[in-house]
Amino acid sequence: MNIRPLDWASIRVGDELPALVIDVTATVIVAGAIATRDFMPVHHDRDYANAQGAPDIFMNILSDTAYCSRFLTDWAGPEAMIRRIAIRLGAPVFPGSVLTYTGEVTATSQVGDEGTVEVAFRAENDLGEHVSGTATMTLPV
Amino acid sequence: MSADDDDAFRSRLNALIGMSVGSGSPSVAPDPVNLPMIRHWAAAFEDRNPVYTDAEYAASTRFGGIVSPPLMLQTWTMATVEITGIRERGGSPVAATGTSPLSVLDDAGFVGTLASNSEFEVERYLRPGDVISATTVIESISDEKQTRIGRGHFVTWVTTYIDARGDVVGRQRFRILKFNPATSS
Repeated sequence: MNIRPLDWASIRVGDELPALVIDVTATVIVAGAIATRDFMPVHHDRDYANAQGAPDIFMNILSDTAYCSRFLTDWAGPEAMIRRIAIRLGAPVFPGSVLTYTGEVTATSQVGDEGTVEVAFRAENDLGEHVSGTATMTLPV
Repeated sequence: MSADDDDAFRSRLNALIGMSVGSGSPSVAPDPVNLPMIRHWAAAFEDRNPVYTDAEYAASTRFGGIVSPPLMLQTWTMATVEITGIRERGGSPVAATGTSPLSVLDDAGFVGTLASNSEFEVERYLRPGDVISATTVIESISDEKQTRIGRGHFVTWVTTYIDARGDVVGRQRFRILKFNPATSS
């Protein structure tokens, strides 16, 4: 990731964020579910997921939002503060799929010594759009 | 249903707005915000933002020290799971207490549940030692809508997270569709 803070003055509307590509495996899904303390069996037990009508275990929502936050701060750097994030949930994520996050800057503004940047983003896999959303972050000016 | 029945059902839904989801009392995080759980989270998502795990680096930023990933908010107040019986409970991590207000919708045939939207507002980043509590209430219930997977109602609840001083540290809005699977279009 960009360990150096992002210079707020360099951000322009229309800037694209570097894509984040996740090779989703069962390990990725289980690690995320347990790290977010979500023990619902559909996120770690394929037999249970099958009995619920799903073809395999699938990513939990807390992992979805975790990857959104990583995607945002991988670009915005360690001085960024996420103030708001809103996502719409779409297609599920199963092991074996590739999840790709993309996004762009939609607005910037400055109040005092704090800059605000708005980002629109989405994540897609082979089944279609997994999440789409918007986020507001602040950075020191 | 007749128009009168529709009105009566709408009134029952309106009565749910403002009601608590869960036990009714705030759920207090089983542990304060702590570095081991932050490190576990950062490793799981391969999030290398140093303000989460590198104390020396974090001290040099505007945060002044290690902070919790903001989207861990919900994780801190999750109930400690009871592994035994989780299948029999339909995946619920702990035994349910009382009846869910949403049983009004289940009883009317809207037995399916699909998560639709999640929104977080962050007032401040949490630090190790913060003890967080959460209270969840139903904020709105839509009129009946036809969706691809069936007719249903969108239910939005809002969880307010507070610290030990009672200050709001964040909010989460979560929207689900309660739908009747027999009415897909």
